[in-house]
Amino acid sequence: MKEVLRFEDVSMHYHSKQGETVALEKVNFSVKEGEFVAIIGPSGCGKTTLLSLAAGLLTPTDGKVKNGDVSFGYMLQKDELFPWRTIEKNIFLPLEIKRANTPQNRERALALAEKYGLKQFLKNYPSSLSGGMRQRAALIRTLAVNPDVLLLDEPFSALDYQTRLSVCDDVYKIIRNEKKTALLITHDISEAISVADKIFVLSQRPARVTAKHLLSFPENEPLKRRENKEFSRWFELLWKELNA
Amino acid sequence: MKKSMNYSPRHLQYLKSVRNKSIAVNIARFAILFLLLLIWELSARFAWINPFITSSPSRIGKTIAQLYENGTLFYHVGTTLWETLTGFFIAVVVGYAVALLLWWSEAFRRISEPYFVVLNALPKIALGPLIIIWCGTGSEAIVFMTVLIGLIVAILNMLNGFMATDENKLLLLRSMGASKIQILTKLVIPSSLPNFISMLKINVGMAWIGSIMGEYIVSKAGIGYLIVYGGQVFKLDLVMSAVFILCVLAAAMYAIVALVERLVIKNK
Repeated sequence: MKEVLRFEDVSMHYHSKQGETVALEKVNFSVKEGEFVAIIGPSGCGKTTLLSLAAGLLTPTDGKVKNGDVSFGYMLQKDELFPWRTIEKNIFLPLEIKRANTPQNRERALALAEKYGLKQFLKNYPSSLSGGMRQRAALIRTLAVNPDVLLLDEPFSALDYQTRLSVCDDVYKIIRNEKKTALLITHDISEAISVADKIFVLSQRPARVTAKHLLSFPENEPLKRRENKEFSRWFELLWKELNA
Repeated sequence: MKKSMNYSPRHLQYLKSVRNKSIAVNIARFAILFLLLLIWELSARFAWINPFITSSPSRIGKTIAQLYENGTLFYHVGTTLWETLTGFFIAVVVGYAVALLLWWSEAFRRISEPYFVVLNALPKIALGPLIIIWCGTGSEAIVFMTVLIGLIVAILNMLNGFMATDENKLLLLRSMGASKIQILTKLVIPSSLPNFISMLKINVGMAWIGSIMGEYIVSKAGIGYLIVYGGQVFKLDLVMSAVFILCVLAAAMYAIVALVERLVIKNK
């Protein structure tokens, strides 16, 4: 399988008047096409920095980020739908930005929205949708430009627990269904176990990769994975590694 | 109206009580106005107060009718209205443009900050003599004063709105590869719309302060001119009439802005 993203000895330093912060220290990992990779780390260990580096929004202080010729779609903690645009117009936003607002692309995006149950909300404004539906609209917006790799920055941490479980299940089914490569960054161990093929563990700041695990569950649906007895074994292991 | 068919009796009763309350508030508002005018009129009629220095509603009505008859009413109102509106639009448009420029360039923003702080704190009326010498004694001087008073407020208010753009939404757009001009048009300008509306509201007030103050300093016509002239020749009926006209005009202009706001919110 082709490698779509590779971090080679990536370090990231931030400078401010108060001093210098080392966010990442020689981070190494790679993501292959079609994989679902999760990176877990304690709060404030530079997870968002890592995603910004992957997407090319930041340049590393040292080392190399090889993201070849793939395109990225970013999903943030909140849906960040623009309240003054209808759901439909929100979904077209990346098309407008990339100057790819052609009838074919719009149709493709609308077909996705329809496929995943947003059709009846297309003319509505985000404020009239539930948290789960909004997050789904945000995913369709991300998928509208057909990115090769999805970057997920704790995409559900703003939702309450009940909604989170079902939205997580919902969104990951769509991602698997559309056969997307995904890189999830989170501090939520159980969310990582319930979705990923591969998990990297980050240390406290300055963050380094301290462990790598390959997961194999008989099923890929997050809620079913949570019921598997392997789940708690993984949880215990990762919890210990995270708090080492 | 059609919808009310589906409401339960309890809900209809609730709606009725809401409507009744708002009717009651309106009645109370008019009753207070009417009562005050009545007391004022009666006190003047029975000479409990000296109508020469307090005027009275009927004398105000007569004065306005006189102004209308000798054809100067609309001349004065028109003059002030023109000055106020011109000053208002120039301040809003230029203020918006300068705020955009400041948002665009961090260097410009940081360098110019102390200048704006000082200009904002400066009482613009202090520039009165300069304005007369620079712009002459016509309407231009008054428009200039109105712009001066509104401009800095407009700039600072709009800049605040632009700078308050949500960081995560900015990150989202950058991750899509948006250019600065796209960030401006797709996010910064639409998300600062509420700031724009509140800036308009503030500047309506500022424009009236500017034009009336300008007319106090130098003028040959206008409502501010009537007030100053009335004061100098001790015609307090004229002063009161001018103030009354001013109240009506300011309320009308505010109502227009409120209407714009409602239209914008409806579109949202």
